[in-house]
Amino acid sequence: MADKADVWQGTLALMVLKTLEVLGPLHGYGIARRIEQTSAHHLALNYGTLYPALLKLEQEGYIAAEWGVSENNRKAKFYRLTKAGRKQVEKEAREWERTTEIVARFLTSGEKPS
Amino acid sequence: MRALRAVLLRIGGLFTSARHERELREELETHLQLHVDDNIRGGMAPDEARRVAMITLGGIAQTSEAIRDRRGLPALDTLRQDLVYAVRVLRKNPGFTATAVLTLALGIGANSSMFSIVNAVLLRPLPFKDPDRLMLIFSTDARRSDWFDSTSYPAYIDWKEMNRSFESMAAFANRPMTFGFGAETVLASGKRMTANLFDVLGVQPALGRPFTVDDERSGHVVILSDDFWKSHFGGTADALGRTVRINEELHVVVGVMPPAFHIDQAELERFYLPLPIDPNRNHGFLRVVARLRAGVTAAQARVDMDRIADRLTKIYPRQQAGLGVNLLSMPDGLARGARVGLLTMLGVVGMVLLIACTNVAGLMLARGTARRRELAVRAALGAGRARLTRQLLTESLLIAVAGGALGLLAADWTSRALAAVLAQQFRVPRVDATSTDASVLAFTIVISVATGVLFGAFPAFASASPDLNDALREGGRSATGLRAPRLRSTLVVVETAVALVLLAGAGTLLKTFLTLRATHPGFDSGHVLAVDLFLPQPRFAQRSPRVQFFDDALRNVEALPGVHSAAFVADLPLGGSTDTESFHIVGRPDPSPTRGFNAGFNIASAKYFQVMSIPIRAGRGFLLSDGPDAPGVAIVNETAARRFWPDQSPIGQQIDLPITKTLSVLLTIVGVAGDVRHVGLGIPPRAEIFINSMQSQLSWPWLVLAVRAHGEPAPLAASVKEAVRAADPHVPVGRVNTLDSVVSLSMAEPRMYTFLLCSFAALAVILAAIGLYGLMAYTVSQRTHELGVRVALGARRSEIVRLVTRQGLRLATAGAVAGLAGAAATTRLLAGLVKGIEPNDPATFVLVTLLLLAAALVAAYVPARRASRVDPMIALRTE
Repeated sequence: MADKADVWQGTLALMVLKTLEVLGPLHGYGIARRIEQTSAHHLALNYGTLYPALLKLEQEGYIAAEWGVSENNRKAKFYRLTKAGRKQVEKEAREWERTTEIVARFLTSGEKPS
Repeated sequence: MRALRAVLLRIGGLFTSARHERELREELETHLQLHVDDNIRGGMAPDEARRVAMITLGGIAQTSEAIRDRRGLPALDTLRQDLVYAVRVLRKNPGFTATAVLTLALGIGANSSMFSIVNAVLLRPLPFKDPDRLMLIFSTDARRSDWFDSTSYPAYIDWKEMNRSFESMAAFANRPMTFGFGAETVLASGKRMTANLFDVLGVQPALGRPFTVDDERSGHVVILSDDFWKSHFGGTADALGRTVRINEELHVVVGVMPPAFHIDQAELERFYLPLPIDPNRNHGFLRVVARLRAGVTAAQARVDMDRIADRLTKIYPRQQAGLGVNLLSMPDGLARGARVGLLTMLGVVGMVLLIACTNVAGLMLARGTARRRELAVRAALGAGRARLTRQLLTESLLIAVAGGALGLLAADWTSRALAAVLAQQFRVPRVDATSTDASVLAFTIVISVATGVLFGAFPAFASASPDLNDALREGGRSATGLRAPRLRSTLVVVETAVALVLLAGAGTLLKTFLTLRATHPGFDSGHVLAVDLFLPQPRFAQRSPRVQFFDDALRNVEALPGVHSAAFVADLPLGGSTDTESFHIVGRPDPSPTRGFNAGFNIASAKYFQVMSIPIRAGRGFLLSDGPDAPGVAIVNETAARRFWPDQSPIGQQIDLPITKTLSVLLTIVGVAGDVRHVGLGIPPRAEIFINSMQSQLSWPWLVLAVRAHGEPAPLAASVKEAVRAADPHVPVGRVNTLDSVVSLSMAEPRMYTFLLCSFAALAVILAAIGLYGLMAYTVSQRTHELGVRVALGARRSEIVRLVTRQGLRLATAGAVAGLAGAAATTRLLAGLVKGIEPNDPATFVLVTLLLLAAALVAAYVPARRASRVDPMIALRTE
């Protein structure tokens, strides 16, 4: 557990959005499992923190929720991406790439005296 | 956008909890089930599967709370809880809540209504462009201590040309004039003005054209005010170009001003005329208004104008000696007298509010003590001090806002009523515009919140950190002992002190007013009717038409049934107008080479002294035989006789009165009349010389016809008017008053302040008494046990009454002593407001102190009696 990374709020939102974009409508538990699997269990995701994040995205209008039935016949709340959400995924992904690129440049140039 | 949407949804989330809570439970339940299913499929035992799922979720309660926080706004949610709780607490104590809310409603209501009036009179912008940059410039005459004098035309031109501070300057003069159109002639106030006045004010006629410089030379043109245009010309555009008669001369209407435009806010002018050039430097009649240059401050302009005044006194030592200038911003300048008074009254209601606050703070403290257990329980359950303070402050604010709302409702009504009184009786400018507008609303909200914090903060801090051990102990009877709680006692002392300050002020004013009312003016005002007349100028500038009119009018009026006698007088005593002239005494050198003797002059017809019941002390009064062709005679009053002829009889002495540069008249003094308080009841008589109206070369356009009736004077008004009209149909009749009401009107200002201050002081004393009563009642209830023991041990009931009453009186006395110091300062302040006030009058101070202590005695006696009825059995059984 010790070397598992914590998830920051901003990135969690992006992971949720991306998951929904790839897999389509999904319930909270499904989203949590998918994020864990995709990170190849490198993330210590406290499932509880997922729900406030989902609510925030819903309030911001990026995702919508409705009640449905799960694959093993349980009543569950399904989240799906809205139109605004689709745009937001692209936007956030671009921003994320740019940020990591900049940070990466710092890390590599940090070794040389400047 | 998205963030806003989220905030709105979160605010919405505060109110829709029930469904959300159910959905939240179901969603988390599903989550766990799905996870447990997965775990079991992965080979775990059911119990283990559920445990792992729970751990991974991080606890249902915690997750639910995190989601709830996200759904609503946590801070708002707490506020909502506090409010709901506060409403419940306040509703459960209707007695406390009603007392607190009503007390504050009185305090806030008094403030809001006073502010409404200050707002209308002083704060609302004048109907000019950038009114803040406009200044009124007055001439000052240090010798007469007149700081708001009018100035002469040449001096105005000098100011205008020599100053560096103003971008423009204009002058105007108020003139009542006859205004005739068609068959109708009315008396109306008009303004003569320099052509640039409207430019300086930044307002142009709504219809027609402004005046031009040419109009100042040749101008028989007139511009109408909007209301006059609407009331007398039907508000139609064909009023332009019409010919009207002003003082019987023909003028053409060339313009109409926009609605609500008036320069003089006290007596609204009806029309405007160009001001002709007047080269006489001794003739001060102009008001000057100027617009500050950009970047120049009022203080700099003042320095600039002082410099000019200095130079003018050097250039024209004869005419300008002793004259200075005084600058005031236009709103302040227009409000002048009313300004200081209104601000003082605003201060006074502020003190009333302070008492109200102290009172409610006392109540809150008492309740804080009663709620010690409740607060201690909440603290024990983990509520922090900040949380408890916030809760208590929320309650205070709720009370304050309720009080403010109630006060505002009351103020809306009282301010209108007050404004109506002020406008009618005291002629305060602009006061009729009083209304509850946005500024009044904002003011009320601000003071409500401020009072809420003020009276809530103390008790909140005092109660929010209860001593848990002490408070939670069962039956926790705190050892109050003999003393009332110290903080509350201090509050009562403070409010008693403030009440005494107000009471002393009110008492001093009341005494001044009563003295004033009891002052004999020197004439008998009963049964006399005073009719204002105006003699249109070009025709009546000559003496013979005047004498003709006087003769005819007096004959007609005296022939009326019910009329005893009638007389004309130029300036009616206490009527507000005076005239001072310079004269020489024959056979005696002038007091200084540049000036003669100075005295008040008045013009009266033969029976004036009879009509007014002014005694003739020596010599004779005017006779009908003192006609236009008989030798000139004069009558002096006692003060003039003493001042100018201290060692001899003035009768037979002669004075020389200059009328114009070339003409002067010689008058022989034939009698000495009793002194009359001409300027004001509170002001000692001045030296006064009367000229016979049948002989006078001085022409007064304004006259008063004084009529002594056999019975009630008021019903004669119509027939007297008719008799004057029969004498000359072109002499307009102005106001008709009884002399009694003229005398009463002269006391309007002291009466207004007395009325206001007495009302506020009464309010203050009542509030302070309620505060003391509340404290004593509380102390008695806390001491029931102790008092019961005393009674059981043989204390008599009268002793108990005395014990409790003495405690209350001790507090009141402490407050009264503290208040006396403030009272001294306040009455000195009032002395600047109303003439004739005697500050620090010991008798008044003693009287008001006794009055306050009497109120305190009553307030303490009621709970004291209740204390004496304590049944020792019951009191001891509560153990």
